[in-house]
Amino acid sequence: MTRTVAYRSLYALVILLIASFAVFYGMRLAPGDVADVLASHPTGQLTAERVREDLGLNKPILVQYATYMGKLLRGDLGLSLINGQPILTILESSAGYTLKLAAVAALLSLIMSIPLGLLGAWKRNSSFDQGTMLIAVLGMGIPNFFLAILLIQVFAVWLKWLPVAGYETPQHIIMPAIALAAEAMAINLRVVRSSVLEQLGLDYVRTLHAKGVSDQRILWLHVLRNALPPIVALAGVLMRTLLGYTLIVETIFRWPGLGYQLVNAVLKRDYTVAQTLAILLTAAVILFNLLADLGQQWADPRTRRQAGAG
Amino acid sequence: MTAIEAIGYELPAERTPGRTWSDRLAPLWANKLAVVGGVITLFFLIVAAAGLAVMVVPGWSDLYVDQRLRQTLVWPLQDGFVLGTDNHGRSLAWRIAAGTAVSLFIGVVVTLLSMTLGMILGAVAGYAGGAVDRLISGMIDLVWGFPVILVAVIFVGLVDPGLTAVILAVSVVNWAGFARIVRAQVLSLKERAFVEAARALGVPGWKIVLRHLVPNMLGTALVMGSYYIAVTVIAEAGLSFIGLGAQPPTPSLGQMIADGRNFLYGNPWAALLPGITIALIVLGLNTLGDGLRDIFDPRLRRW
Repeated sequence: MTRTVAYRSLYALVILLIASFAVFYGMRLAPGDVADVLASHPTGQLTAERVREDLGLNKPILVQYATYMGKLLRGDLGLSLINGQPILTILESSAGYTLKLAAVAALLSLIMSIPLGLLGAWKRNSSFDQGTMLIAVLGMGIPNFFLAILLIQVFAVWLKWLPVAGYETPQHIIMPAIALAAEAMAINLRVVRSSVLEQLGLDYVRTLHAKGVSDQRILWLHVLRNALPPIVALAGVLMRTLLGYTLIVETIFRWPGLGYQLVNAVLKRDYTVAQTLAILLTAAVILFNLLADLGQQWADPRTRRQAGAG
Repeated sequence: MTAIEAIGYELPAERTPGRTWSDRLAPLWANKLAVVGGVITLFFLIVAAAGLAVMVVPGWSDLYVDQRLRQTLVWPLQDGFVLGTDNHGRSLAWRIAAGTAVSLFIGVVVTLLSMTLGMILGAVAGYAGGAVDRLISGMIDLVWGFPVILVAVIFVGLVDPGLTAVILAVSVVNWAGFARIVRAQVLSLKERAFVEAARALGVPGWKIVLRHLVPNMLGTALVMGSYYIAVTVIAEAGLSFIGLGAQPPTPSLGQMIADGRNFLYGNPWAALLPGITIALIVLGLNTLGDGLRDIFDPRLRRW
């Protein structure tokens, strides 16, 4: 297992290097020269040449990348092009919000999907099962930003129970979390159901039954444990997707997390902020990949040996 | 009476050599999911055709761009507007039709692009194996499941907000989905007897892939294609919603929702109708995909 962890981590590191270079290089190719943008700033008497010199933009791209990553690792994230705010400050204020929102959404989707999927499979084709499957179809078909609008229309405009947007009170997290969790919940529900159904048809379930083990015990202890591998494998994919969706959901609800800041930075052409936030989010995605990979091997011992040899 | 008839065994019906199209489509008709999904999809294709017409036929564009300042935020079925008007007094019905055309166009273009790329790379990886396979598989791992929105944000940094950025970003991620499945299928297909026979006869590798492997995967491609068009429609709408996708004056369902959300108190339908349209398009495509999957390849699951 140690070898597997080391191998996978190394692989993740290589992917991170490639991906971060792609982001870095991409931002360099962006239309509109950063140096021109800075030099045209009304307050400064900088020339574009001087700015290029200062930012090291006339050095080879690999040197620039190495310098940038070195600074990044030492916690020196640079300043915003637009308002000169340290990026570290932006990051500190927004990362917590994104983590909070993503955690609540992930928890919400798991708490909803596992019991519903398990019971749906257990009472296959009952009206309960069909009801949960309808929820799954709706959850996958309704785009999260439209669900957000629906929630706002119902709970904020009509019922006036919840605030439209913002972040000040605990009530503010309810609608963004639901909008973010819905699709993951729906996909998870389907996977839990089909994975459990597969297990229910196996011999060991009949054996446990014959031994007189109670239904609840079979379901929650034995079947759930054996049905875990595909669920854990999927959780990684879902976490990545969730992270991507924070860009949209945070923007709708003006939730001041990383996604909201990144979208804003891109729209305002604040390249230094956009680049750093994009690289950090990419790193988070790759980290989730790694965790999902390792999690799957924990959940399914059969894959351990094979992966270690690979 | 022969012995076989005596024991009640029915001889298998003789296969007619040339199957007609109605024979081929019989399993499709028998599959309710596929029919329902197909009907919904067909409906939106017709809507999109109407939308395309008002966008390209000279003189017709008034239908969806004309602003009527005295008739803003008209509710559906009033003042002669079937679906009402938006905050500029533009006909929602025609704007939704035009937006549907844009959505489906992007969905199809991206899916064709990523399907072609994914099938070629996946087939090459699976067939060639070795270092080539490791390289391509590494590329697949790199982008598969990567949040499209995040990639799109990077591409918007590259080429300015707009549909080009959307097409690039979604294609860059989606090809890997096709490549994974195709690679796995080629890996199992290439061990089959008919491939071995072709190889023994000296058929070159590229020809085996094109003539023997690709036709065997068309069903899979069709199923995945309908799912991926749906995924792309959602991604385009989402990006347009936050201002990174289609830019005015290009009509886009996502952007219409974003515009309408500021007038939820006035006329919620300006935001709700484009949203319902997206949800129905996606529902139709996913249902069609589910139905096609049951017909072509019951083992293929979405996740």
